[in-house]
Amino acid sequence: MAMRSQIYEWTNLSTSGSNSSIRMTTDPFEKTVSGDKKTDIFIGGIGTNITKPAETTATQFVVIEDIATSAHADSAVQVRINTTDYFQNPDITDQVGVPGLASPYPRGTASDGNISPIAGDNVLPSFALTPEIYVLPGQTYSVLYTSNNTTGVSGSGSASLTTCVACFVKYTLYDGPDSLIANRLLEMGITVNPSNVDWYKRSLLEQQSMATATANGGVA
Amino acid sequence: MAMRSQVYEWDGSRGSSALSSTDAGKSVSIFIGGKGNNITKPAETTATQFVVIEEIASTPSYFANAQDGATTSVRGLAGSTSSAYFGPLAYTQIVINTTEYFLDPDNIANSGVPGAASPYPRSVNFQPSFNLHPTVYVLPGQTFDVRYTHFSTNAGYDAGDQQCFVKYTLYDGPDSLIANRLLEMGITVNPGNVDWYKRSLLSRASAPAPNGA
Repeated sequence: MAMRSQIYEWTNLSTSGSNSSIRMTTDPFEKTVSGDKKTDIFIGGIGTNITKPAETTATQFVVIEDIATSAHADSAVQVRINTTDYFQNPDITDQVGVPGLASPYPRGTASDGNISPIAGDNVLPSFALTPEIYVLPGQTYSVLYTSNNTTGVSGSGSASLTTCVACFVKYTLYDGPDSLIANRLLEMGITVNPSNVDWYKRSLLEQQSMATATANGGVA
Repeated sequence: MAMRSQVYEWDGSRGSSALSSTDAGKSVSIFIGGKGNNITKPAETTATQFVVIEEIASTPSYFANAQDGATTSVRGLAGSTSSAYFGPLAYTQIVINTTEYFLDPDNIANSGVPGAASPYPRSVNFQPSFNLHPTVYVLPGQTFDVRYTHFSTNAGYDAGDQQCFVKYTLYDGPDSLIANRLLEMGITVNPGNVDWYKRSLLSRASAPAPNGA
């Protein structure tokens, strides 16, 4: 299993007594997310989190293929590699990233997340992450959620009406030998995807069988 | 019938023991978990079988804005008046022998693919964000499992409230051998490539011998 399709889902849901929990919990509660503030969906301390920052080991290569977030609450999602934000304004200033209305999660959700949605109000993606984002061996990455308004997202128990927001990341994890091939493809300027990794393996096997044939005087 | 498209649908309400709120947060095998409809023994491949899992999906969820304290259902998904999420918060994980397929970025296994990302059934309201590419191979002699976990007890446990779906292709007999050969060659195992390999074998067999005989 050296090349695996992976997903990560974040929600602002956690247990009643804590702002965050490691992974999903039973019958969770919505947590407040401040407006105009980037929250790391892995270790940001709000909602469903993991145990440590997302990073690749020396034998891992990650290709982020899709990011999406709730269409409501002015949600947006940004990718950060080490300390560099991926999405920038044309004047090279910082921005919040891809809006949930451009890359909704779940797909087909109502544009305002209404609890009485209008029939036919189904948001579909306007955005595709092409080219994909590479996380090289040894790099740290994070995905940042922002509610791009001053009010933010209201959790349960707050004065405002409760809101649930989510983020979604789809990536492929190349591990072991496939990580080395992914690095080689990157050096060759070839897109890193499962088909090209398989193609490189085939070309290695062909080279090997040709070398054997030559060493045996043309007899394989 | 050496190469067959197969499906398995699981519903937590079926069978002698239905899924209930006490199962929330627990990972339940859709094959032999003792909840919903089950089969007689663990899913496994024989020495002459090769399985490619191409899709997994489960009941979706809806994340809402501004719960008004009165709504208990959105787009057919049930919830509680005090929560802004509707549906079971369901996830589906694949296990090959004892290894879980889906991991979080901290390299710890998670509950799998959310139903919100890979919904079953699909509709205009619930569309997939996720496709299982590369597909998951179950080699000859391996055991595999698909495990369903739900985290909301407010979604209901009637027919259709908690479902899971698996689509896979079963390669049997000679086609299983070809699938193994393709795997060794680094070629994706799918019906098109298995057919291509058969054609290339046939064209080699019918080609004239090197000595002109």
